[in-house]
Amino acid sequence: MSDGHSWHSDVALEEGRPAYLPRGLKRVPRGVDELATEHLVLNMGPQHPSTHGVLHVLIELDGEEVISAEASLGYLHRGIEKLAESRRYHQVATLLDRADYVSGLHTETAFALATEKLAGIEVPWRASWLRSLAMELNRYASHLVWLGTFGMDAGAMAPFLYIMRDREMILDILEEWCGSRMMFNYVRPGGVFADIPAGLDAKIRAWLRVADSYLDDNDALLGGNEIFQARIRGTGLIDAATALAFGMTGGCLRASGVDYDLRRDVPYCAYGELDFEVPLGVNGDNLDRYTVRVGEMRQCLRLIRQLVDGVPEGDFTAKVPKVFRPPAGESYAAVESPRGELGIHIVSDGGLTPYRMRLRSPAYFNLAIVDEALAGGLVADAIVTLGSLDIVLGEIDR
Amino acid sequence: MWGLGVLKGFGITIKNMFRPVITVQYPEQRLPIPERARWAVHAVFNEDGTPKCTACLICVKECPDHVLRVESSTRPEGGKHIDTYVYELGACMMCGLCVTACPYDAIEMSHEYELATRDHSDLTRMLLFDVDAASPRRTPREDAAPAPTGTEAADA
Amino acid sequence: MNIAIEILVRFLAMVALLLVNGVVLIYMLRKVLGHLHLRIGPNRVGPFGLLQTTNDVIKLLTKEDLRPAAADAWLFNIAPFLVFVPSFMAYIPLVFGPELAVTRLDTGILVIFAVLSLVPIGIMMAGWASNSKWSLIGGMRAAGQQIAYEIPLLLSVLGPVMMAGSMDPSAIVAAQSGTWFGFIPRWFVLPQIIGFVVYAISAQAETQQTPFDMSEAESELITGFANEYGGMRFGFLYLAEFSNMFIVAAVGTMLFFGGWQLPWIETPGWAAPFVFILKTYIGIFTMMWARGSLPRFRVDQMLAFCWKRLIPISLTWVVVWACIQRLAFEAAIR
Repeated sequence: MSDGHSWHSDVALEEGRPAYLPRGLKRVPRGVDELATEHLVLNMGPQHPSTHGVLHVLIELDGEEVISAEASLGYLHRGIEKLAESRRYHQVATLLDRADYVSGLHTETAFALATEKLAGIEVPWRASWLRSLAMELNRYASHLVWLGTFGMDAGAMAPFLYIMRDREMILDILEEWCGSRMMFNYVRPGGVFADIPAGLDAKIRAWLRVADSYLDDNDALLGGNEIFQARIRGTGLIDAATALAFGMTGGCLRASGVDYDLRRDVPYCAYGELDFEVPLGVNGDNLDRYTVRVGEMRQCLRLIRQLVDGVPEGDFTAKVPKVFRPPAGESYAAVESPRGELGIHIVSDGGLTPYRMRLRSPAYFNLAIVDEALAGGLVADAIVTLGSLDIVLGEIDR
Repeated sequence: MWGLGVLKGFGITIKNMFRPVITVQYPEQRLPIPERARWAVHAVFNEDGTPKCTACLICVKECPDHVLRVESSTRPEGGKHIDTYVYELGACMMCGLCVTACPYDAIEMSHEYELATRDHSDLTRMLLFDVDAASPRRTPREDAAPAPTGTEAADA
Repeated sequence: MNIAIEILVRFLAMVALLLVNGVVLIYMLRKVLGHLHLRIGPNRVGPFGLLQTTNDVIKLLTKEDLRPAAADAWLFNIAPFLVFVPSFMAYIPLVFGPELAVTRLDTGILVIFAVLSLVPIGIMMAGWASNSKWSLIGGMRAAGQQIAYEIPLLLSVLGPVMMAGSMDPSAIVAAQSGTWFGFIPRWFVLPQIIGFVVYAISAQAETQQTPFDMSEAESELITGFANEYGGMRFGFLYLAEFSNMFIVAAVGTMLFFGGWQLPWIETPGWAAPFVFILKTYIGIFTMMWARGSLPRFRVDQMLAFCWKRLIPISLTWVVVWACIQRLAFEAAIR
């Protein structure tokens, strides 16, 4: 550069825009290229209120604008896949509850489905139905947590505490049913661990009577609020092609406009018999992810109404030998968890324990987009976008 | 009009202000625990105070986290004697597999949920200590679960 | 000698008011937010949890005084007081009753906003001196926000000042006695409703509360500029925030809601401070209500909202009101 003072107008500018200038800045102010600016690398997490656990995101900032972001994982790694290799098939569910601790029943069911496929077990219809009912209740609880934390990320405190009232009712129902509030250990290969207790359907119906109005309240408080709309509209854009390329599934993919829902496209359990719609987004921004998930919650209530009304008669579990040795081979089964396609791949060598188990955790794939989705926004957008992806670190780090 | 949603939010929160609070004041108020709730494992005894446990070790093999430990010896007059039945509460995840597996209903998932201790050693509990085990024939299970087979023991 | 004692008494009364306010407001915030959110709020320490805040103050006082090794020691130590002292000074011109004020200032309103405009310097200093990236971003946000929102705040104040024809708080309050048409209280909020809305929004921003709490932004910047502070230094930052809340609510009461006066009836002298405090606390409750209901703006949206909406609106309103008053005045003398 020339010797003159950088603020003097006679200092010539170099060709092209300096790399550290903010995007969107069309005209380079004179001399700004000699202004001592540098990018700030912010270590967000693993201890941070908005990383939903122990996620560590490295954010490169120019002022408040995010230049790039990189997620650093593994703070919650417990070796669930490896541990499963030393556990018999009915013991694995205790591990899988702790993988996705917000919706444990989905992981359990995926494992049970994969095992049944491997061993060729016919599951009684009632067992499938009970699984679906429990899963939908759990999905609603999981979406409630997402709704609350999403609002919390945007600074709204009220919805988080209102959803707790709602979620508590679901957890009470699930505790009475499965014996535990979150670590259910309920779905076993062959069926479920115990039948639905008598009188629980009345409890579920009592909850359903208030669930709609509670959801409307929360939706009005967040989605109806213009400040919140301004926060989420057009931020965290993920187009359909990128979403597919990154292997995103679930609500995040549907928000980008890709119509893919395992419950409808690859029916499992009782979903083939049920009537529901799959809400879709258009742009793939945070607003779309919000509307898709809230729409999904309304569909969820619709599904629960159908499921609780039509519980069929029959056994709640198939006959599975106490010493269970599936034949050698491999199988893959997936369920639509609240976060997306949750798959379990089991390789069996004919022994008592799986030879290898692999968990395809949807949030892991959804989180991979973090660089694409966060870059270009502000810090505040980054937080909201991260919240909209609905990540659960237990499942990502396994 | 811009701002109507904001005002509606104000209405919702003030409406909730006059609703009853949902907080449960825990030590004074307690919610009922459902029948199936799983908490610390307890030993079950007969009416005469003898344990139902037969020291068959099925629970020990069933536990995914290996928190149960039974040491038994054979009595000179026949039958088993339980020296210790140790339960590592601190490592237990209350999955209930041991209770499901027990053919004699000798253990149960209790409703004891206040499990915090001041001393780490209190987390190791002695469920049974220096008692004669029940005879397997004396206390059959009501729902007649299949008795343990030879393969079960061989697999472990 | 008498003057010295009087000064001391007035000073101590101010300190007492500020501290009691801080303690009461923190308790009130917790209770209001709690009940807005279906919770109870503090209820364990003392009856109804009344001693909770006292407990917290004792905790803050007895905490180890930590300072990050890399922090700029001098600035780090002085910043909380730079935040606290202006809000302390702003108590001086407040009028609690006909003759009840620390001192009577002809330009009281101006003094309040002048000293409050020093607060962002302290906050920025705190953010910079902490030598933490989070604090830095929080401090910068606070500076940008407070400087921007001071403009609509001051412009919205001009309406009542024009109506009263004075910047003296007691004169403004006195101008609001009596009624219009015999039954509407002569409170400036009615003709100045636009000014009042702008004032309320700017006041919320000036005290850094949701939806304008970017500088603290719990979910983004953890606690923003106060990130590295602990013990009583944090206590001062926190106290200043609540004291500012009281000040903007009190100023709003004086300018728009008739200060210490009851509507329709003559206010007895002894009741004046209670009426004033009650009105102020209703204002504070509204601010807390907003805090419990709304999500946060994004920093650029907040600044755009200020520069592109509030400032034009308030400027236009000042001009419009000046014309109205001038025409009405001319009509009156003709």
